[in-house]
Amino acid sequence: MIGDVLTWLNDPAHWRDTRVDKGIPTQLQTHITFTLIALAIALALALPLGLFIGHTGRLTFLVTAANALRALPTVGVLVLLTVIISPHFHGRTDLGFVIPTEIVLVFLAVPPILSNTYAGVQNVSAAARDAAAGMGMTGTQVLRKVELPCSLPLIFSGFRSATLQVIATATVASYVTLGGLGAFIYDGLQQQDFPQMIGGGVLVALLALLADLLLATIQRYAVSRGISGRFSTKSVIPADAATAQVRTAEASTV
Amino acid sequence: MNRKAITVGAAAAALALALTACGSDSGKSTTSGSTGSTGSGGSTATIASKLILGGPPEFKTRTDGVPGLQKNYGVVFSGYKVLDTGGPVTVTALKNGQVDAADLFTTDPSIAANGFVILQDPKNNFAAQNVLPLISKAKATDGVTKVLNGISAKLDTAGLGAILTKVQNDKQDPDAVAKQWLKDQGLDAAGTDAAGVTLTVGSANFPESVVLAQIYAEALKDHGATVSTKLNIGAREVYVPGLKDGSIDLIPEYNGSILQYLDKNATATSSDDVYAALQKALPPNLVVLDQSKAQDSDAIVVTKATADKYGLTSIADLAKTQ
Repeated sequence: MIGDVLTWLNDPAHWRDTRVDKGIPTQLQTHITFTLIALAIALALALPLGLFIGHTGRLTFLVTAANALRALPTVGVLVLLTVIISPHFHGRTDLGFVIPTEIVLVFLAVPPILSNTYAGVQNVSAAARDAAAGMGMTGTQVLRKVELPCSLPLIFSGFRSATLQVIATATVASYVTLGGLGAFIYDGLQQQDFPQMIGGGVLVALLALLADLLLATIQRYAVSRGISGRFSTKSVIPADAATAQVRTAEASTV
Repeated sequence: MNRKAITVGAAAAALALALTACGSDSGKSTTSGSTGSTGSGGSTATIASKLILGGPPEFKTRTDGVPGLQKNYGVVFSGYKVLDTGGPVTVTALKNGQVDAADLFTTDPSIAANGFVILQDPKNNFAAQNVLPLISKAKATDGVTKVLNGISAKLDTAGLGAILTKVQNDKQDPDAVAKQWLKDQGLDAAGTDAAGVTLTVGSANFPESVVLAQIYAEALKDHGATVSTKLNIGAREVYVPGLKDGSIDLIPEYNGSILQYLDKNATATSSDDVYAALQKALPPNLVVLDQSKAQDSDAIVVTKATADKYGLTSIADLAKTQ
């Protein structure tokens, strides 16, 4: 079976577009496009909102409401929205199916980003916040220079889990006539072509891993070392460790 | 440091995997290049070459699907869009013009509701598919024939659809659904028509066939026959030999499909023609009883606007140049 899957993945006919079938590169591109659109919308909605809620402590019920969105059954909502929205689009456009799909994916991506941003900002040490205010920073400056950098690790973890979920769930696009890597899973099931089905699943998993790796790398360089505690052991010794070493040295000389 | 090494290692592994896939792709492309390009030969612009066909995923590979349309009519569409199996997505996509032609089932009520035009199928790409009992001649006594013909007389497409909904969507037990249907049709009265007959009812390996076999079995039991069942036997290639050698005696069939199986060159299109041809094509020890009105077949459907614009009445019209 594994051999069949590898054969399917390696068959050049599956990497090429025909009149009837789209190849792996095209479907991969479609899948990534759907994912990026959903993540961009979700980020534009959830990040500012999360920062606002975390900073002001107002409207916290919105976080609960967003988390309630997670309980929605994705395929059910997708079919419902498709039935409502798609009849309004005429002609060759796929918009009638793209819009419901993106709405469903945004529903999935907003809760982790929003709740992690909110939690991250809210959990910034009160001392740091007070110190910043004491130095004469305005509210916006505190948010931008203290709270945002301090909560970045949590925001990233929310964004990464949103990305994984969206990549995995974007396969439902094939359920409503759109492409994406889900097409191989859906077609394979219907055609009883199980190598194709598993091959599609493998591609989705690989894409998810690669995306997470990419985000992990970005996170590594975006988050301040003072937060992540990621110091090179060779060059710079953190303050605490330095004093500890000095003390040990003193103790040993006595 | 350690973590860095793991990250770099994972990245390298992923890259290597991606490259392997690409590498062997280009290596093999010469061998199967011809298969990929079949169907793009017709360079003169046919009507179909301006249209997009939509239907279920397996229609792309089925012999009476995209390959059958090309073989029988020379019809090659400009593209294919995967929709659902004769469901609301297909209807909406056809209605709103995401696709120009679609594979729907002939009995779908939405065809009439939306004024869709069913394209005639003169070359029998899709055969008539009436449900009928295929039985070994030795077991087809007058009593058994009477019981089974009674079922066929009551069975229609809508009824069959309702039965299938119960089995497939509501996950009800096919045997219970069969008993309920017989009861609803007033066919469950005990009798002695089939008394003394011992037979084995078989079915193919899909739900509709199973539930039809259960209906036959339950009705014959009610009429005194000794019935055993062998359900989900498999495809025609498996159970027709079983009928010939007597390991099963009765199975529900579709007239078009069984005719095509018995006679590859069959040309009959209408239900009656198929039925007549089937009588001749059957092996000497097998017989079909009355066929029901229940029919389960595909059709290529277009909107009224498309049909008027291109003057389409038949699938063959799609291959004309414009």
